[in-house]
Amino acid sequence: MDSHPLNIRSWPRAILHLDADAFFASCEQALNPELKGKPVITGKERGIVAAASYEAKARGIKRAMRLSDVKKVCPDAVILPSDYETYSLFSMRIFEILKRFSPVVEEYSIDEAFVDLTGLRRNFHCSYGEIAAKMQETVEKELGINVSVGVGLSKVLAKVGSKHNKPHGLTLIPGKEIHLYLEKLPVEKIWGIGANTAAFLNKLGIKTALEFARRDEEFVKEHFSKPYREIWSELNGKSIYPVTTESKNSYQSISKTKTFTPPSRDENFVFAQLSKNLENACIKARRHKLSATRLIVFLRRQDFRNVGVELKLNRPTAYPGEMLAILKKGFKSIYLPTTPHRQTGVVLAGLESENKVQLTLFDDTAKIEKMSKIYNTVDTLSKKFGKHTVRHASSLPTKLQAQHEGERGDVPERKVNMFKGENVRQRLGLPVLNVNV
Amino acid sequence: MSYDAEKEKLNNRIKEISNFYSTNSRMPSYSEIGEMLGLKSKNAVSKLVVKLEQLEVLRRDGKGRLIPGSIAFPLKVLGTVEAGFPSPAEEELMDSLSLDDFLIENQTATFLLKVSGDSMIEAGILPGDMVIVNKGQAPKSGDIVIAEVDGEWTMKYLKKRGDDIALIPANPRFKPIRPKNELKIGGVVTAVVRKYQ
Repeated sequence: MDSHPLNIRSWPRAILHLDADAFFASCEQALNPELKGKPVITGKERGIVAAASYEAKARGIKRAMRLSDVKKVCPDAVILPSDYETYSLFSMRIFEILKRFSPVVEEYSIDEAFVDLTGLRRNFHCSYGEIAAKMQETVEKELGINVSVGVGLSKVLAKVGSKHNKPHGLTLIPGKEIHLYLEKLPVEKIWGIGANTAAFLNKLGIKTALEFARRDEEFVKEHFSKPYREIWSELNGKSIYPVTTESKNSYQSISKTKTFTPPSRDENFVFAQLSKNLENACIKARRHKLSATRLIVFLRRQDFRNVGVELKLNRPTAYPGEMLAILKKGFKSIYLPTTPHRQTGVVLAGLESENKVQLTLFDDTAKIEKMSKIYNTVDTLSKKFGKHTVRHASSLPTKLQAQHEGERGDVPERKVNMFKGENVRQRLGLPVLNVNV
Repeated sequence: MSYDAEKEKLNNRIKEISNFYSTNSRMPSYSEIGEMLGLKSKNAVSKLVVKLEQLEVLRRDGKGRLIPGSIAFPLKVLGTVEAGFPSPAEEELMDSLSLDDFLIENQTATFLLKVSGDSMIEAGILPGDMVIVNKGQAPKSGDIVIAEVDGEWTMKYLKKRGDDIALIPANPRFKPIRPKNELKIGGVVTAVVRKYQ
C-alpha cells in the first residue's frame, strides 16, 4: 500500500524554495576568502552564536550556544560581530537574481524565498530541474555563497525538498515521487507543524509525514483545524498557500529591542535605551505610514527575568513626542532601581494605516499639526544626513556607556574601514570584499 | 494646512490612483477611491474627482465613470501637477545615466574593494583606491582580476596565451606570477574610483 504515489501528475505546479546555507557565516566567507574552509561564527556582539558555518557545525557548534562554550569546543573558531548591513545587501541580491527568472518571488525571510515556476519551462526551453539548477548556479556564482533548493508541487513540499539535502543541495519532488520523500520524514519536520501538534499526531499513531498525508480527508477533517488540513493538502501535492509577491509593508506590530553589556543600574541610561528603541520603532512605523494605538514596554533584568507592561495611547500616532510621557510612566511602573538591567524593548501594536487615522473632537489639532511638521523635518534630515541626526534628548544618555563594553564591543570591519565620504551613519550600498591586494 | 502640504497630499492621491490603474488596468470606482484614500463619503471623493478633472489627470464618460487622463502616463503626472507642462529638458534627460549605472553593469554581482598594495600603480590604481569588482563576468585576457594563486590573494592583469596563464603586475618592482597549483578568479575589476574630498 505504501508504494503507490500520492499524486499521479508530475508537475501540475512547480514551486521552488531557496534557503541560503549558514547565511550570515557564508556572507562573511564570501567577502573574506581567507575564512573559507574555516569554522566561522557570527554574533560576537550578542555573546551567543547567531550563525555558524558548516565547518563550525561539523565541530559541534550549534545556534544560540554561548561564545564562552564555543571557545572550549572549538578554540580556533573565527568569531565575528554581526554585520547586518552586509547580510541585508546579500539578501536583496538573492531576491533580485530570482526575479530575473520569475516575476513571482516571495521574500519569505532574510535568507529564504519561494518562487512560482509554473509555466516557465516553455520560456526557458528546459525542465524545472534545469531552471532550478540555473537559479542556484547564478546565486552561487554572483554572490559566492551556497544555497539549497527544493522544487515541489506546493510550498510545503518545496520546503521538504530544500531541507532534504543541505548544503548546496538541489532536490526535485515530482508528484509521482512525493511519497518517497515523506516516507522517512518525521511529522515535526514538516513546515508549520510544531512540537505540540507533532505530539498529538503521534498519539493518533502518525509518526511520519507520509502517514499523515495518506490519511483520508474525513479523518483529517475530524481531528484537525484548518491550518493543518491545509498542510495535509499541500503534502498531497495540492497547492493551497499562494506565493505572495508584495514585499512586506503591512505589519501587525513593530518591535525594537537592544541589549547592552555590562547590565546597568543607571536609571537614566536604561530609560535612554528605551527611548531610543521607541524612536527607532517610530521611524520604521512612519516609513511604512503606520500609526500605533498601543505601546508595550519591557525590561530584562540581570537574572534574565522579563517584566513588561502594555499601555494604551491617547490617539493613533507614530511620533515619539506624543508617547514619551506614557513611556516614562510605564517604565516607572516596572523599573526596579535596586537591580541592574540588561535589555530594553518597545513594541508598537494595534497598527493602523496613517491616512485612516480619524481625529476626535478632543484632539488638539494645532499640536498634532505641529508634531507632524517637526517629524517630517526630522525624517527629511535623516534621509540627507543619516538616521538619528536629530533625536530626542531623552535618548542622549545612551552615550553614558558603550552599547557593549569589552570584547563584545567589536564592530564589523565594514563600519571601521570606510571609504572617503562614508560616515558612521551612511555607507555605499554595495558589499565590500575583505582581501589585501 | 499650508499650500505645499496640500499639493503633496494631492500628488500622493494621484499616485495612489495611478498605481491602481497600472496594476488593475482599469480606473477605480468612487467607493474604491474612498477606500484607498481613506475618504469616508462619496461627496469627498466627488470633490476630489472634480479637482483631478480640472488638472486633466482623469476624465468622466457620459455615465460619470472615470477614464484615465494623464494618469495613464505616470511620469507626466508629476510634470502636470508640480510644474505645469512637462518641459522639453525633462524629456531629454530621461535617457541620461546615473553615476551608479555608469560604473556598475550587473548590480547583484558587483562588490567594492579597498586597495592596500601598490602592485598596479602603473595601471593607475593606488593604495587606498576603491575598485569595483564584477563577480558575474567571465575573465578575458587583458582584464585586471582579483585572483587567488596558490593560497594568496592578489590583483593583477590576467594574460592568457593558449594554455599559458600568467598574472602580470603594473609595477616594475613586482614579478609576473605563474600559478603552480591553483588559480581561482574572484572577479574582474571594471572601474577604479578615487575620491579626493
